[in-house]
Amino acid sequence: MSAVFKREIQSYFKSPVAYCIIGFFGILTGLYFWNVNLSNMQIEFSYTLGSLISFVIFFIPVITMKLFSDDKKNGTEVLFRTAPVSTWRIVIGKYLASAVVFGCMLLESMVCPVIMYFFMNKGGTFPLAMTISGYIAFTLLGLAFLAVGSFASSVTDSQPLAAVLGVIILIVINFIETVGEHIKGTFGSILVWLSLSSRYNNFVLGMFDFSALIFYLSFTAMMLFITIINIDRKRWN
Amino acid sequence: MIEIRNLVKNYGKVTALDDVSFDVKKGDILGFLGPNGAGKSTAMNIITGYLAPTSGNVVIDGIDAVENSLEARKLIGYLPEQPPLFGEMTVKEYLNFICDLKRVPKKKRTAMLDDICYIVKIGDVRNRVIRNLSKGYRQRVGFAQALVGDPPILILDEPTVGLDPKQVVEFRRIISSLGRNHTIILSTHILQEVTAVCSDVVIINNGKVAKTGSLSDFVSTDANVKRFAVTFDTGDKEVAEKLLSGVFKNYSFSRTDHGMLVYRFSTDSKSTGVKELFFNSASAGVALYELKPMEKSFEEEFVRIITSDMKEGV
Repeated sequence: MSAVFKREIQSYFKSPVAYCIIGFFGILTGLYFWNVNLSNMQIEFSYTLGSLISFVIFFIPVITMKLFSDDKKNGTEVLFRTAPVSTWRIVIGKYLASAVVFGCMLLESMVCPVIMYFFMNKGGTFPLAMTISGYIAFTLLGLAFLAVGSFASSVTDSQPLAAVLGVIILIVINFIETVGEHIKGTFGSILVWLSLSSRYNNFVLGMFDFSALIFYLSFTAMMLFITIINIDRKRWN
Repeated sequence: MIEIRNLVKNYGKVTALDDVSFDVKKGDILGFLGPNGAGKSTAMNIITGYLAPTSGNVVIDGIDAVENSLEARKLIGYLPEQPPLFGEMTVKEYLNFICDLKRVPKKKRTAMLDDICYIVKIGDVRNRVIRNLSKGYRQRVGFAQALVGDPPILILDEPTVGLDPKQVVEFRRIISSLGRNHTIILSTHILQEVTAVCSDVVIINNGKVAKTGSLSDFVSTDANVKRFAVTFDTGDKEVAEKLLSGVFKNYSFSRTDHGMLVYRFSTDSKSTGVKELFFNSASAGVALYELKPMEKSFEEEFVRIITSDMKEGV
């Protein structure tokens, strides 16, 4: 697992993709920070994070698009599938590497709340708990998105297709909440329940929603499990 | 070392392998032959654990390679048709990654990688990025990858395709020398390669085993019977056949492009018939244009097996 993880990290940071994504995300975070927090004197950074989710939907599939599709295209898949390493280790290793890129995005965005914390007017209090819970939710959501992106990458041998597929799945997952709200009855509530973004709001308000934590983690685990099955399936085709 | 039993592989409705069985003994270099699309790569992919068979068994050193694939994979080094390389890595980084992947203990690594680089001669490109290497060097790096972890079994899928003649000779030399302490399956459709390095041969055609045996089974026939071809420097059939029938009873006839007469016949290796024919012809004033023993060549044998198999199939 660590071998795959190490290689994947190297490959991310040897190509411009990771730097572009991290850099561009930094610019967007700065713009939203300026617009939401600085111009409008809004002290909650978790609102800013919430607004960034709609961009993350596009960023994350770009991070994960190469994870499995590239190996299929280059013929390096055979290396992993004939090495004495089980598929789940390979999937987790690659997934964690993509999580490191996402982690870099998180870290750079933290500059904004740190600025607010140190440069606040005297007498004001910084909403530390809300910011932390906002970050926890953002991280959980990101991890779930990465798992979706990994799955999309395992479906095809084309990177662009993997990215597009990932974006489409994430858009669907995020918009079923809106759709569900308009549908009356059980089906509507099931859609709302399934939505990843609906659970985000409690965290933004500073509440630590334990059931949401379980939901996000199990969703992530399930997506990774499907990815593993999807890769193993090819052996039997 | 490797036992393959009743292997069947279907891709949807297409049958790639149909009841393939053969054995590879420890220390053998097995030539795995067949025309393109015969099922060679599929069989190798199953042995290495890349694919699972539809039915059948592969047992590697007592380990069921289908049920217990991970254990079996530890014993195998695999060089696929297209070497699995990461273009952005240097050779050194790549081989270190393979060591990580195959869990080679850190202590053994330096010595092992030095050995491997010496064997496949890539010492001078260790710090170069794989993407920039020539085809020959890439193939060697792929070969080095298969040798990492010192697996007792090597499976090489058309390892010399796309190499220049000098590299081909060199690769064959490497394979022969590795054969001393490895069991090797070498897939190829180049017949000289098999005669140059292999001890045993399996010919596969249309997903079925067409023939198995040791190399000598394919090259020479019965050691006591020799076949000859004689070409008379005359167009007079009567004269020629008179000379020939004086010594041999059974012969076949054909004519060269230049109108000369060619006869093929078999003789006992102890017989002096060939000498007799020579001197008789000389005294009769008929020159022999050519008199040569005919070895059954591997090419002929291969083509015969493949085509007869096809006829049976029809």
